[in-house]
Amino acid sequence: MNPSLASFCAATANRSHSRRSFAGAMTLSLVVAMIVAVPAQAANTPTIRLFPTTVVEDLRQTGNVARDMETGLQDVIGRLDQQQQLYQESKCDGAENDTGCQRLARQIGASYLEMLTVMEERLPDMEHTVNNTRVSLEKGLRNELGKKMTPWTLQETLLGKVSATGEASATAPSLRGRSGMRLSERFKQYYQLVATSGSRGDQSLAVLASDIYLDMEETSTLIERTRQEIARATLMEQLNQSFGIITPEMMEVVGGVKSILFGDEESRALVAGPPPGSLEQAYRSPLEQ
Amino acid sequence: MTNTSRHTFRITGVIAALLTLASCASNPPTCPSPQSRNLDSAIGSVKSSLNSGCQAHFDRFYDDLLVIAEGDPKPENKREFSEFLVWSSEQGLLSTRQAQDYYNRYFNVKFMSMRGDYNNCSHTCPNKQKVLFDMERELSDKERGLLKVSMDADAYYRADRLYQEVELVLEATCFACAASR
Repeated sequence: MNPSLASFCAATANRSHSRRSFAGAMTLSLVVAMIVAVPAQAANTPTIRLFPTTVVEDLRQTGNVARDMETGLQDVIGRLDQQQQLYQESKCDGAENDTGCQRLARQIGASYLEMLTVMEERLPDMEHTVNNTRVSLEKGLRNELGKKMTPWTLQETLLGKVSATGEASATAPSLRGRSGMRLSERFKQYYQLVATSGSRGDQSLAVLASDIYLDMEETSTLIERTRQEIARATLMEQLNQSFGIITPEMMEVVGGVKSILFGDEESRALVAGPPPGSLEQAYRSPLEQ
Repeated sequence: MTNTSRHTFRITGVIAALLTLASCASNPPTCPSPQSRNLDSAIGSVKSSLNSGCQAHFDRFYDDLLVIAEGDPKPENKREFSEFLVWSSEQGLLSTRQAQDYYNRYFNVKFMSMRGDYNNCSHTCPNKQKVLFDMERELSDKERGLLKVSMDADAYYRADRLYQEVELVLEATCFACAASR
């Protein structure tokens, strides 16, 4: 049916695993860092402007749009679940010629069409706000990290300045990987992280900005592809309606939409990364840079 | 004396002279690896070898010392290596920069592979894969120096995380740099 729709749903839900698997437990450390970290450190590090107010506003807006999309899809996805369950309980698999099963299949197809329609209506707003965020972050990353920093200064920014006593900043790294979380919740967290960024070290901001930017970039591409494919998928489903067919792709897409919008239970078990190093060193070599 | 015996006498004389000259020439140093399993003694032995014309074997000696230190890992080893490298620099065996490289590559969280004077868009991004590859190799040296020699697990984990953060941030930054072209 529609590989792009499936890829939008499944890929967005799963894509971050390889890139971000190490940071599952960062949620806790981030919260702790936001409370504990900060003050002396901030005074010593050069300030980098990765999150101007426009980005903060764009993130908030994206969160709102995502929430509207979730609300719009919640009913229809719930209905699809019930219809699918009924279809299976009625042992319609393999009995496609049965009149009752055909009627059920058409009902499922109609709900599926409704889901596509809601997505089609909401996606342009989503695309617009995601693109705004992406473009703002892109500019910030290019200028602040790309053009104003050497690899060495970038490394020092990520590491945080080590104090004269040899003890490193207590600022913990940022949170990464949000599979298993509602889409609106994900943007809400981004927004909260960024909105409170003034009290956090630059090293976390650089990681956070990179993370959100790559997320937006991928989401933007997938939304674009999905929009292109929705019309085709709708047409195909309209044809299928005539025959009362349920395709495996249809169920896959519904599953994907559920996981991206409402979270994926399986991916909630975040794996703890290594404990953050305290960097407390008894000895500091004169050769150390 | 016949001609034959005179000729034989001359050849014998030349051979004897050559043997005498050869015995006068200095023997090349054998530069053996330190035998002691004690890091202090091993460093003493290496210093002695380096002072006896074995400078060309510095890399091997450094590796030998790391192997010995791995056998008795402790935080103080970091200082031993630092002092040895400072000594090597003072003796003119290494430049200051080389000494820093030897030390930081193994015993510092920061990556020497990330050294560079030009901005990331123009210099790091075009060589991103090589930079990351070099960092990965350096990370395994840090595992050896920080974890296996100095028992500084926290510092090693921080280096490991720094590597992953650099990977992520470079991916995003280089993408942003490329988007402007």
